[in-house]
Amino acid sequence: MVNPSLLIAVPLAFAFSIPLFGLVSKKIGKYIPVVALLINVGISFILIPQILKKPAVVSIGGWSPPFCINLVVGPLGVFLVTLISSIGLLVAIYAISYIKEEPTEKYHMLFLLLITGATGIVLTGDIFNLFVFFEILCISSYALVAYNKDKEGTEAAMKYLIQGSVGSSFVLIGIALLYGMFGTLNMADIASRVTSADPTFLFISLAFLITGFGIEAAVFPLNAWLPDAHSSAPSSISAILSGIAIKTGVYGVARMIYTIFNADGILTFIAFLGLLTLLIGEMSAFRQNDIKRLLAYSSIGQIGLIVFALGIATSLGVFAGLFQIVSHALAKALLFLAAGYMIYRVGSKSIDSLSGLGRKMPLTSFAFTIGSFSLIGLPPFAGFISKFSIVYAAIQVKKPIFLVFVVIALIATVIEAGYFFKVVQNLYFKEGKNVDNVTETSGYIIVPMIILVISIIVIGIHPQFITGLLKGAAGELLGRTGYIGWVLGGS
Amino acid sequence: MSGIYNWMYYIASGGLILIGLYIVLVKTNLIKIVIGLNFIDTGINILLICIGYVRGRTAPIFSRPGISPANVVDPVPQALVLTAIVIGVAVLALALSIVIKVYQHNKTLNVTKIKGLKW
Repeated sequence: MVNPSLLIAVPLAFAFSIPLFGLVSKKIGKYIPVVALLINVGISFILIPQILKKPAVVSIGGWSPPFCINLVVGPLGVFLVTLISSIGLLVAIYAISYIKEEPTEKYHMLFLLLITGATGIVLTGDIFNLFVFFEILCISSYALVAYNKDKEGTEAAMKYLIQGSVGSSFVLIGIALLYGMFGTLNMADIASRVTSADPTFLFISLAFLITGFGIEAAVFPLNAWLPDAHSSAPSSISAILSGIAIKTGVYGVARMIYTIFNADGILTFIAFLGLLTLLIGEMSAFRQNDIKRLLAYSSIGQIGLIVFALGIATSLGVFAGLFQIVSHALAKALLFLAAGYMIYRVGSKSIDSLSGLGRKMPLTSFAFTIGSFSLIGLPPFAGFISKFSIVYAAIQVKKPIFLVFVVIALIATVIEAGYFFKVVQNLYFKEGKNVDNVTETSGYIIVPMIILVISIIVIGIHPQFITGLLKGAAGELLGRTGYIGWVLGGS
Repeated sequence: MSGIYNWMYYIASGGLILIGLYIVLVKTNLIKIVIGLNFIDTGINILLICIGYVRGRTAPIFSRPGISPANVVDPVPQALVLTAIVIGVAVLALALSIVIKVYQHNKTLNVTKIKGLKW
């Protein structure tokens, strides 16, 4: 069996080798993320069937679990790692020729560090280690948002940094309180003894942790940084932030609520918060005139939908939420990559300036169209299955409040369809000004987009390729005694 | 009196965290906001240390003579604080370098006057 700690070690080692390769040749640097993530994708695909049979717990340092830092590779972990490394690989291929601003080695190094952080967050079984990986992810994304060093980028990065570091401070306070109560940092150990503690202290600690991870996940009252950061970053970074970074925040919230605290009482509140996020995100997106800002607000809305689905807390609901994570990651990465190259060719971010591109850049426009249709939830794309299962799961709960929630969620979907159809109509049915010299994307840029289009359609038609993995992952989130059993042994 | 004496460190750490939050929320100068973030970090470090502190015990350095597990404080929070300090330094350095860039573009550090991106 492959050692799962390689999934963290490979990108970390390659990240810091990039400046060394830079001494030999300046051109090698941009291919290294592709190599590292290719290895990671390979390892995670090898691990999937093994993990589904038997989850792996890797103890580092040779001590047995409650006393060491350990990695817990369950179905949820391996599912998210596969998603992170696949999206990361595609974005790395895109970045080979998209990133031109010097010094490019720094971009590729920070990009690999971001992937390392995200991978570590979803694999670790130690709550302080979770914080460390969370900070690796956050610090590299602050730096990457400011990568172009232009006016918007630095301002957005400053906003993101202030809110993000308050958020990670809150996570650390929550961890300190947990350590004070239980004297252990192992997540399974805390989870097994959580009933023995004073409920007031538990609630305070849970509130700090959810607020901290909620800032990274951009749940409604905490989402002020996201539209700026995602619209000002280079497009490849917007894709990775939307596709991966905010999902790790959602993972943090879900892990805290389901596994560690077993806090069933606040789930309806979480679902409500998700719904509010969905509505606010979609309504703000509707009146945007800047294409990247529109996509960023749409990300807020989709995160709301994912949080809402996780708040339903039936096995079908959690399954639907995880499916939505996949379909949103694929579609939003595709949209940002396509939009990024259109902006690069046209030289403006406004939606009006994209008119008429349907004829000049047929492949890119087609990719953008597929991505937006999948996000809206039209069949036969992946987004249809995930949205359909969320609505179906919410109706199956049979509580009147969830019926109201479903109605609001469907209204938000109609708003979403409204603005995406507007953009697609602009692409195909309006006469363009100043687009005569625009040519189709070429080379490495088009490959990741084609792969994403194919995977959206294939998953939409044959969802059974991933449902087995997703059901296992949903089972891991809902079955906390199973998780404790893997790590601590026995029971 | 002994009640306050026992909770002194917790009160100090909570106070530092709240002062930091106040600075981040109220002050308009970017440098001051970064200092506020550092206050929060320091407060949390003290909180972690005092969670592991046991009155009358010494530092857990086992190479010194006469040290046994019965008369040292909990070493784990101290390891955590070392890590947290390193992370804090990284965030501080990055924050200050971004502040420099923001100043170069806007010629001001006042956050109410930096309005390139509207919400």
